[in-house]
Amino acid sequence: MSSTFDQVATIIAETCDIPRDTITPESHAIDDLGIDSLDFLDIAFAIDKAFGIKLPLEKWTQEVNDGKATTEQYFVLKNLCARIDELVAAKTPSA
Amino acid sequence: MHLEYFKLIDRIVELDIGERRITVEAQVPRTNTIFEGHFPGYPIMPGVLLIEAMAQSSGWLLIALTKFERMPFLAAVKEAKMRSFVNPGDLLKIDVSLVHEGSGYAITQAKVRVNNELRCNATITFGVIPFPNPDLRGHMEAEAKRVGFPHEAIPTTSPISTDEPRQ
Repeated sequence: MSSTFDQVATIIAETCDIPRDTITPESHAIDDLGIDSLDFLDIAFAIDKAFGIKLPLEKWTQEVNDGKATTEQYFVLKNLCARIDELVAAKTPSA
Repeated sequence: MHLEYFKLIDRIVELDIGERRITVEAQVPRTNTIFEGHFPGYPIMPGVLLIEAMAQSSGWLLIALTKFERMPFLAAVKEAKMRSFVNPGDLLKIDVSLVHEGSGYAITQAKVRVNNELRCNATITFGVIPFPNPDLRGHMEAEAKRVGFPHEAIPTTSPISTDEPRQ
């Protein structure tokens, strides 16, 4: 089973036509990869489907706009993947 | 269909909140200045207006799912296919289903039929945000009356949440 990062990187590469080998865990989706908000909707849709979650984009955007969070916390891929893992864990009933 | 006012939907025929789908009807006028230019001697409904009709139909579904709390704005159109011509006087039956509810956006799939024949379809993405002002919300509520919006079909709790994952 591929890692969260591998899945997300593949989604970004396929959705935005970005060479896969240029996408790293340190990449900032907006600043480094040049993904705009509309393209990020496509990525969010693919991530939502792939992981069975709902990325809280509105909440994140609000936090960034209010100065309570930085874009790095949500849009640097290693951080995005950590958020995805948290959302997946939250929806999985504990054993 | 009031083309001059960009009101393309005439009536809501069915709204199923549980199944997240809507069916609407739209009567293409027999005469309109649009048909004088599109095309002279061969009038057909412009594809962009058919896409708009699918978007407006989707909009009613999304407004219903958010209980008139949010307004959908067109963000992207994908897989739009104009399969055969729509002519002046045709009665459109437009079926829309929700493909995905995201955080602040939604994706629908719409199909336009005339006499049960599929004429066009599209997958459409919307930004879905709180009404930007009371005037627009008031306008949409007035429009809802015009198209026979079935308020009784809306449950007391919203099927579309903002950021909560759908289990």
